[in-house]
Amino acid sequence: MFLDESLRRIRMLLQGRHFQEELEEEMRLHREMRQQEYVARGETPEAAQRSANRRFGNPTNLREKSYRNWGWSWLESLMQDLRFGIRSMLRSPALTIVALLSLALGIGANTAIFSFIDTLMLRSLPVKDPSQLMFFGREGDSGITDDIASTTLYSYPFFREMQKRNNVFSDVAALMSMVNGVHGIIEGQDAMQPMRVQLVSGSYFPTLGVQAIQGRILTEADDNTEGDHPVVVVSYAWWKRALASDPAVLNRKLTLGTTTFDIVGVVPPEFFGTSVGEAPDMWAPMSMIRFVPPLWDGYKKNFWEGMYLIGRLKPGVSQEQATSNVNVLYQQIIRSFPDVDLSARNAGYLKRAHVDLTSMSKGLSSLRRRFSDPLRVLMGITSLVLLIACANIANLLLARSTARARELAVRQALGAGRLRIVRQLLTESLVLALTGGLLGIGLARIADRLLLRMISGGPDLVPLDVSINTHLLLFTFAVTVTTAILFGIIPAFRSTRLELTEALKDGRGSSSKGSSRSRLGKVLIVSQIALSLVLMVGAVLFIRTLVDLNNVDTGFNREGVLRLDIDSNVTGLKSEDPRMIAMFQEIEQRVSALPGVKAASFASFLFSQGSWNTSIRVVGQNLNDQVNVKHNVVGNAYIATMQIPLLAGRTFGPQDTATSHKVGIISERMAKDLFPAGVNPLGLHYYAGYTGTDPKPNEEIEVIGVVKDVKFGSLQERPQYIDYLPNPQHPWGYGTLGVRYTGDFDAVSRGVQLAIHSVNPRLPISHLGTLDEQVSRTLTYHRIVAQLSAFFGLLAVFLSCIGIYGLMSYMVGKRTNEIGIRIAIGASRASVRWLVLREIALLTAIGIAIGVPVTMASSRIVAAMLSGLHGADAASILASVVALLAVALLAGYLPARRAARVDPVVALRYE
Amino acid sequence: MKRDEIPPGTLSLLILKALSLHGPLHGYEMVNFIQQSSEDVLQVEEGSLYPALQRMLLKGWVTAEWGVTAGNRRARYYKLTAAGRKQLALELSQFQRVFGAIHRITQIA
Repeated sequence: MFLDESLRRIRMLLQGRHFQEELEEEMRLHREMRQQEYVARGETPEAAQRSANRRFGNPTNLREKSYRNWGWSWLESLMQDLRFGIRSMLRSPALTIVALLSLALGIGANTAIFSFIDTLMLRSLPVKDPSQLMFFGREGDSGITDDIASTTLYSYPFFREMQKRNNVFSDVAALMSMVNGVHGIIEGQDAMQPMRVQLVSGSYFPTLGVQAIQGRILTEADDNTEGDHPVVVVSYAWWKRALASDPAVLNRKLTLGTTTFDIVGVVPPEFFGTSVGEAPDMWAPMSMIRFVPPLWDGYKKNFWEGMYLIGRLKPGVSQEQATSNVNVLYQQIIRSFPDVDLSARNAGYLKRAHVDLTSMSKGLSSLRRRFSDPLRVLMGITSLVLLIACANIANLLLARSTARARELAVRQALGAGRLRIVRQLLTESLVLALTGGLLGIGLARIADRLLLRMISGGPDLVPLDVSINTHLLLFTFAVTVTTAILFGIIPAFRSTRLELTEALKDGRGSSSKGSSRSRLGKVLIVSQIALSLVLMVGAVLFIRTLVDLNNVDTGFNREGVLRLDIDSNVTGLKSEDPRMIAMFQEIEQRVSALPGVKAASFASFLFSQGSWNTSIRVVGQNLNDQVNVKHNVVGNAYIATMQIPLLAGRTFGPQDTATSHKVGIISERMAKDLFPAGVNPLGLHYYAGYTGTDPKPNEEIEVIGVVKDVKFGSLQERPQYIDYLPNPQHPWGYGTLGVRYTGDFDAVSRGVQLAIHSVNPRLPISHLGTLDEQVSRTLTYHRIVAQLSAFFGLLAVFLSCIGIYGLMSYMVGKRTNEIGIRIAIGASRASVRWLVLREIALLTAIGIAIGVPVTMASSRIVAAMLSGLHGADAASILASVVALLAVALLAGYLPARRAARVDPVVALRYE
Repeated sequence: MKRDEIPPGTLSLLILKALSLHGPLHGYEMVNFIQQSSEDVLQVEEGSLYPALQRMLLKGWVTAEWGVTAGNRRARYYKLTAAGRKQLALELSQFQRVFGAIHRITQIA
């Protein structure tokens, strides 16, 4: 019924012109027949027509009434307003272009930043009822630990016990806290390719409620016995990319390490796992952990803790109930393991341990942790820019409404209601804003790609979905309408409030009403300047922070080092296998023998690649388990490759073998703080790691060298306790090679790759680059914030300049005859110029006076959010103030010059 | 002769009734029919027929089709639909209830 009616309504709308014609014809026929009737009765044709018309009524009125009955009149008047709005936009193209450009930039920037906020911080996981999912602990650590009281990382046996004994979750799932980066071979292909494998418990997919779109998901049946379920489920993206969406995907196989896996299913395209920005290529059951490189052996070890746990709350169970149940079980399960070491120290830790359950609805994300604060800061910056753009457009519209004063006055005099005109003006603003919004979305698409590249910080794009979606369009639409109201409403009301007779009189007039309008304009300019100052000081601070961090002394020489990764897992050898150790040494020797290469060495960590840390105990001292020492397992030439200054002792050499007594090189800070004061640490012995009550003498490490402190994890960190251990004595299946070279990078890189493949042609080589790039990549987010804030700061200043220029031109135009008189009675050109510039200087000074305290306050907020940031200091503020003053005066100079060139005769004759 | 305005809201009832009695009619015929059947007591502002007809078209009570008059002119003929017939019955019973009530009150001596 209602539907039929709506259909008829729409059909009528589509046939608008036809409708009018038919109605017209029908009504004409009616009147003519009536007229004929009267004529037949003997009236004259004229008299007959008159009475027929009288009996019929006002046809225009009736037509409108008929039309209104279809309920489209609102649309009609809206279309009218829109047409009028577009016409008036086209009439002043300069203003329109400036307004559209600033709107497009403002809205585009906001949309782009918001799309990242949306995908990282707002969107829920694409799984069933994500709000029921709970994460065990607080995300932050990943890796493997044997910490008895870890409340983030858990062992597989712990997971099984928790799954069995809890009564608050409908199911519990475990996943490795790291994705295994593997090189594998698709059956039937020759080349090895990188594959990112996520190990998960069989309950992972059922807990999330994710179904396969092809084949099946992994289930408990794949995870009940260790080692005999060689199956994987692959991601939609990988299926498309690596298998070209082969419909026979379920018959395909792939080899990881030495094991061949069957592909048993494909998951839906929207499912990227449980970590935002980390999309694994495939999921393998935890039962295969020992067969997926790096071949971890953690399926049955009670204290091999490397897994995250996720639980789905049973309906009606609160987070508090679940937390208390989990914590009771946590203590019981750990204490029930037969190999638990409940020494006094461990018991103390365990007693204090508390598992916090945190919401998992938005998934895990290290990206979120790193970029939440910068994104918030950027969102603030872009909204300020948009605000400035709004003020600017309001000012331009205000100036134009003066030009239109007569038009509006005429319309009001003819009887248009004030609200009707306000509606018309607001519609015009809306047309402007919507056009700007559309352009902004286009701009945001480009900006998104740029930002994604910046966030990724390297050649591989982070798998983040920042495409346009309804969420985003709604946001942009809301922003657009808000801006239209912000910049449209004041000019609209202002320009409809006027004394008709004043406005209808011609001439520029010296009436007082103009001054209130320019007062409003001045207020807008002052606030623009204040906001611009905030943004400029912000940009200066961010840039200075970036420069400072880039100039931090790393302790090693970051220039002139080539770095690459090899995947030694493809050999299928354990890291302690003598053949593996020999292979690394062989590669180091062949590479160092290349022309242009000075030294080459593997290392477990070059820079910011994670860490392996334990407490240490210096022989003859008590264990201090509060300190953590970072161990870096390296090749013999590492210190030379990195050019870390050797302060005392020697570096490693061929004499340090798997069987010789253990040696280590320690950092300056470690020597100073952890070794007895006043004693030369060379020759002293220490143990790495907790050795229990009964340390084995052959694990004692002798200090053979002391080196300068280096930055290890980040450029911001304080000096760390670091020791370097030779690979033969602490075998590490490492993959990162550093090569100190001179000359052409490409030539050296080709040589190095050939040398590696001459040792083993199957070794995959990846992440080829320089150490310098690797270091500066850790500044990604500082760089993004610095670059973007500089861009937006400049944009803000530029917009403010346009505002100043527009306002001053307008005021000079208003005061032309006053200026003419001044010149006529002898004012010099210079003093006229100063008259205008003084005004600008005054406005800018007021803006700055307001802006400085605002800047101080906001820089304090931002400094708290972004680590390592400078507070607003006098130098930064002063520089910004001077720059702002300079560009403001520059923007005002053109109108001032025009004022000074006023010809008094012309100006006065004009009156 | 003095003519009376039709009570508000009854125009559509009159149109529906006219159409149900006579089959398809064009506007001019409808007005004439209403005036003649009321023995010239009821007066319709003739043009107001057309907005009313548009509303009835929207509601789906009538459909319109172009045809040719006896005098060989193109005219739009309106025809009652099933929904229109239902509406007529509804409006008739409503009218009779109200009119009957008014009639009873005014008959009280």
